[in-house]
Amino acid sequence: MNARRTAAIFRRVAQEIRRDHRSVALLFVVPILMTGLVTFIVREGQAPEVDAVVVNDAGPVGIAVADALDTTLTGEGGSARIVADAASAEAMIRDGTASVAITLPAGLGNGGSPTITILTDGLDPTGEASQVVAVQRALVTAAADVTGVRPPAIEHMTLYGTPSDDPMAAFAPGIIGFFAYFFVFILTGVSFLRERTGGTLERLMATPVTRGEIVSGYTLGFGLFATIQVALLVAWGLGSVEVPAIGPLPAFSLGLGLPSAGNPLLVFLVVLVAALGAVSLGIFLSTFARTELQVIQFIPLAIVPQFLLSGILFPVSGLPEILQPFVLLMPMTYAVNGLQEVLIAGADIGTAALQLDLVVLTLFAVFFAAIASLTIRRDVA
Amino acid sequence: MDPAATTTGTTDGAGPAIRAVELVKAFGPIRAVDDVSFELAPGRIYGMLGPNGSGKTTLIRLLTGLARPTQGHAEVLGVPVPSRQILARIGYMTQSDGIYPTLTVGENATFFSAAYGVRGGQAMHEALRLVDLDDRLDSIAGTLSGGQRRRLSLACALIHRPPVLFLDEPTVGIDPLLRVEFWAHFRALADAGATIVVSSHVMDEADRCDELLFIRSGKVIARGSGREIRAQAGTENLEQAFLRLGGGVEATR
Repeated sequence: MNARRTAAIFRRVAQEIRRDHRSVALLFVVPILMTGLVTFIVREGQAPEVDAVVVNDAGPVGIAVADALDTTLTGEGGSARIVADAASAEAMIRDGTASVAITLPAGLGNGGSPTITILTDGLDPTGEASQVVAVQRALVTAAADVTGVRPPAIEHMTLYGTPSDDPMAAFAPGIIGFFAYFFVFILTGVSFLRERTGGTLERLMATPVTRGEIVSGYTLGFGLFATIQVALLVAWGLGSVEVPAIGPLPAFSLGLGLPSAGNPLLVFLVVLVAALGAVSLGIFLSTFARTELQVIQFIPLAIVPQFLLSGILFPVSGLPEILQPFVLLMPMTYAVNGLQEVLIAGADIGTAALQLDLVVLTLFAVFFAAIASLTIRRDVA
Repeated sequence: MDPAATTTGTTDGAGPAIRAVELVKAFGPIRAVDDVSFELAPGRIYGMLGPNGSGKTTLIRLLTGLARPTQGHAEVLGVPVPSRQILARIGYMTQSDGIYPTLTVGENATFFSAAYGVRGGQAMHEALRLVDLDDRLDSIAGTLSGGQRRRLSLACALIHRPPVLFLDEPTVGIDPLLRVEFWAHFRALADAGATIVVSSHVMDEADRCDELLFIRSGKVIARGSGREIRAQAGTENLEQAFLRLGGGVEATR
C-alpha cells in the first residue's frame, strides 16, 4: 500500500464528487428533506375524524351511549348520530357520508357481555383500524359516563424515563441511520462503476496502482463526504435553532429537535461507521455490475432487506423466528440498535451494547472493503 | 536476439523489448488469441493490423498483464508479466479515452502522474506540451473536443516516459491533421528508444510503422515491413496483401 498513490485516488474521488452537483445534492440535501418529511408526517399527522352512525337496538341505554359517544367524537372533530336501521347505516357507509357504523345490541347495560359491532367499508385497513381504536376509546368513555363506573387508568413508564411525548422519538434511530446509509451506498456504487464503464479502471489497472489502494482511496474519498453528510444530518436531526421573526418572515425553528438521551457525538459516530460500511458495500457490489442499472438492481438485494429486517419498519422482536438469523446479518440492525442505545437509553462510550454495535459495524465496513479489493479483477474489460 | 538476456531479466537494449511465447487466450470455445509467439525489438514502431474482433486488444491486454493468458506467457523488458514493477515502465493508451471527464486537463494529468509515481509537475507539463494541451490545464476534460480528449489520453500514457508503449487504435476518430501529428510524436518517441505497439485497422497507417504484424482470428498471419509484406504477397498494396495472406474481406476498408 503506497500512501502517495492512495492519497492521489482520494483527492481525485473528492474532486469528482465536488464537481458533480447532483451527487452533492443527493448526499447533503436529500437526506435532510426526507428526514424532515418523515418527521413532519409523524408529528403533524391528523387524528382520524370519526363520523359514526349508530344503530340503536338497546333502547334508552343506547340513546344515552350514543349521546355520550357524540360528545366525545365531536370533541375530536367527528360526530355520532342515530339512524333508523342497519340497512340505512350500511348505505351511508357505502356512499361515504359515514365512516363507521356502530350497532348497539339489545340488552346493553343489563350485565352479561353483549357484542357491539363496528362496520367499516374495509378499503383502507390501516386508517380504519385507527378509527376503530378511536371508537373503542370513545365507547369506553361513553359507557363510563352512562354507568358511572370508570375503568382503572393505565400509565406507561419506561426504564429510561416516561415515553417522550414526541412521536418521532420511536422513528429517529431508524430514519437517521437508514437515509445516511442508503444515499452513500447508491452514490459510491454508481461512482465506482463509472470507473469501469469510462475505461479509466482499465487504464488504472495498467499503472502500478494496487487494488487495495483503489479501494482505500475510494473509501477515504467517499468517507470524507459521508462524514460531512452525517455531521449535517445529525446536527439537523438533533438540533433545533429558533430563528426569530425577521420582517415579514415569521419565527421558525431550524432542525428537527429529536430528543436524545445520549451524547450527539456518539450518534454521529454510530451513523458514520455505518455509512463507511455503505461505502465499502457500494464498491463491493459495483464490481459485479456492468451498468448503472445493475447497481440500481442491487437495491432490492442489499438495501430493502435491511429496511425490513433491521427494526426500521417492523420491530425485530416481532419478526418470525426463521428470519432472526438474517436480522443479525444486516449492518443496519447494529446501526439502529446503536442509535436506540444512544438516543433513548442514553448510552455512553463505555456501554457494552453500544461498543458491540460499533465493533460489528466496523467489521462489516472492513470486511466488504477487503473482499471488494479482491473482486476488482485485472480482467476488467 | 540473445535468449540469455531475457532470462536474466536484463532490460533496455540487450534483449527484445516484448516477448510473447505461445500465448493463448480463450473465452469459452473462442480463442481470441491463438498461439502467438514473437519478439519485438526496442526502439521500433510495430503496427498490429487486423479487422475488428481479430484479437488485437486482447493481445495487448495479455502483453501488459491486464489479462491472464490461458496458455503461454509474455515478457516485457525481460520481466514476465503481470508485474507491478513493469507496469511503471509501460504506457497504455486504451481504445476508449480512459480519462476522467469531470476533472480538468491538469487534474487528469496530475492524477496519472501520481498513479505512476512520477514526482513533480515537470514530466506532466512536458507530456501535455507534446500533445499541445499545456495551455488548456484548467479546461474540464469532458468539454474538450474528441481530438483533444484523444490527445489528453495519449499524454496520460506518456507522463512516466515509458520505454514501452501500447497504443490501442490511437487515431480512431481523429482528423487527418492530428493523425499526422500523432505519428510524428510516435516516431520521435521511438527515435528516443521507446518500443511502440500501435494497433489499427486502417491500412494507410501501416507504412508509418517499422514493422507490421497482420492479425487474423487471434493469429499472426504475416510479419515484416510494408515492403516485405507486399513483396511476399506479390501485391501492389497492403489491403490486397492482407486478402491474399488470408485476411478476409472485412479487413479492407
